[in-house]
Amino acid sequence: MTQEKSTDVTQVAPSDAPKTADDSRGETAASRRNVKALDWLSQRGIFVFTILLIVFAAIFIDGFASLVNITDVFNRAAPIGIVAVGMTFVVITGNYLDLSVVAQVATAAVVLIAVSNESTILAAMGLALLIAVAYGLVNGVAVGVFKANAVIVTLSTTFIGLGLLRWLTGGSIYFGPQDGAIRSFGLAKLGPFPLAMLVLIVVTLILSWVLNQTNFGFLVKSYGSNREATRLAGVNTAWVVIGAFGLSALGAMIGGFVLGAFSNTAVSAMSTGFDFRALAAIIVGGTSVFGGRGSVLRTLLGVVFVSVLTNIMVLSGLTFGVQQMVIGALIVAAVSVDALARKAAS
Amino acid sequence: MTHQQGISLGEAPGGAMNRLRRTLARRTEGRALALLIIVVIVTAIMEPIAFTAYEVTLGRIALIGLVALGLTAVILMGELDLAVASTLAVAGVVMASIDNLALGILTALVVGLVIGAVNAFFVVVVGINSFIATLGMLFFLRGAAFVLSGEEPVRLSDIDAGIAFGKPLIGDLTPRMLLFILAFLALHIFVTRVRAGREFYAVGGNRQAAYDAGIPVRRRIFTGFMISGFVAALAGIINTLERTAADPTAGSTVLLASFAAAIIGGVLLTGGRGSVFGTLLGAASLGILQVALTLSGVQVDVQNIVIGSVLFIAVITDPNSLRSVLGSARSFFRGRSRASPTQ
Repeated sequence: MTQEKSTDVTQVAPSDAPKTADDSRGETAASRRNVKALDWLSQRGIFVFTILLIVFAAIFIDGFASLVNITDVFNRAAPIGIVAVGMTFVVITGNYLDLSVVAQVATAAVVLIAVSNESTILAAMGLALLIAVAYGLVNGVAVGVFKANAVIVTLSTTFIGLGLLRWLTGGSIYFGPQDGAIRSFGLAKLGPFPLAMLVLIVVTLILSWVLNQTNFGFLVKSYGSNREATRLAGVNTAWVVIGAFGLSALGAMIGGFVLGAFSNTAVSAMSTGFDFRALAAIIVGGTSVFGGRGSVLRTLLGVVFVSVLTNIMVLSGLTFGVQQMVIGALIVAAVSVDALARKAAS
Repeated sequence: MTHQQGISLGEAPGGAMNRLRRTLARRTEGRALALLIIVVIVTAIMEPIAFTAYEVTLGRIALIGLVALGLTAVILMGELDLAVASTLAVAGVVMASIDNLALGILTALVVGLVIGAVNAFFVVVVGINSFIATLGMLFFLRGAAFVLSGEEPVRLSDIDAGIAFGKPLIGDLTPRMLLFILAFLALHIFVTRVRAGREFYAVGGNRQAAYDAGIPVRRRIFTGFMISGFVAALAGIINTLERTAADPTAGSTVLLASFAAAIIGGVLLTGGRGSVFGTLLGAASLGILQVALTLSGVQVDVQNIVIGSVLFIAVITDPNSLRSVLGSARSFFRGRSRASPTQ
């Protein structure tokens, strides 16, 4: 349990760290197995769990394995998934999470529907983009430059953002036209898959490329594993944090578009629960809340897991309260596995 | 320590600036006092009813203040308890669902202690960062409050007790105020006079040094979270008694206001600094602000904007933040990173 082990293997090795125990000498076999098992559980467990969950649902849950239901799962998974893959960057920088996605998603959806009713879709998207940039900058500057705590900062921007949205809209519901472009996008399908799912996959692939292939992605991981070393290497760390919050804001914006298009209506309360569902997906996907390691592709798997789990609970007739309890417990359990894996490894 | 470093590197962008920074660094209550003065003056001019109807204002301050007091105990050690708002809701629902009032209150308090212990377990034993552990608990308990209450407010069976609870007991003070004052005094004495309480500062200031000095760090963290859970449960009980019903959604506005109260009161999120008195000042200013806004007919949404902004400003203007901003500004203008201070 307590043997010396190069901690950098677990901290720096970005997405693939299967050989954590290979290079350790002088450990007892039992502790090595322990480390390996916990590490495997936090990194690779999601593959197995997702498959098990889907098999379980297909066998035991009535109505799960129907085309209508699968399409529904995808439709609901897409906006949360897009939010989650964007937020993954914030988590990897070691800044816990971006709670304000709740406000951002609702704002983007309302702006998309309300402004395109009055003007053009392009104008609506432009305005939403400006708002997303503003969110990214405010959160990013407060956390990156002022070094303020990300949870508290995004908690306050959530309340400010939702307050502004409700105040300006008067809490009203906006409906898009029945024959508009937004509606037809929301209904479009490729076989059984809604078009929104394609958006999710494209966004995931782009962000995965950003994380793994670009200089920025490297800096995000490097900042997450060791802030001080990254700063001393001459990196302008403020921009890394601002960039991470910016990507989270862009993800929330696109997620809001998809959500608004799917229902063709928009209201300020429509994104309730996006914060903890997205966080659960990221953490279950094996991205460490301690920062430094994570993967956008596995967040996608986490999204599938959380969405299927939610769908099972809905089909079984469990109330929103129970769903919230289960997801909350899931977050704590997944982080516990990660924390124990770290403890065992160091 | 970091403060002295800040001065020596400061090379004086003006003596007044330095003096201001020194004052900011020495007194942790400065910002809360400034906010309180501004709020009191503006309220006295715009909405003097907030002071004539002082029972309402004091009641609001007591509710925000109670939760903020519990938070103070945890934040002093550099941890955070985001679960307080849901603890408040769960405790209220538990209390209202038990017919016997005394038994209900007792059970609710025990529930608060247990929630605090569970939070501390995840932080201390499992080793999760308290921000994430208590965030998970926040979601879990919010769900639990819905499940326990059947998703609707639970009526208190003993309504007379609730009415009696709202009546002044000593002078003008209602039991709610008295409980708050008691809790304030108890916590103030605990962290300034009692050894275990003073060790909270050591745990938050430098955890490794606290370990080395033989302070039972784990036990202190357990104590802190249990204080926070207990006090949040107490706030839930008081809230339920006054409204004679327990609302499972209770506490979401209190969450924001109590965080703002503790943080603007000068309790540093990184731990080790702050005072219970500062939290009191913070709670007073936010309580007056909320009541004044409500009385002048400002919508809840706008109130959330205002209190959210206070929290935002509070968290980016603590001495650490100001120092790191000054540092980065300086290094930006000089084009090198040497002078930017570490956190």
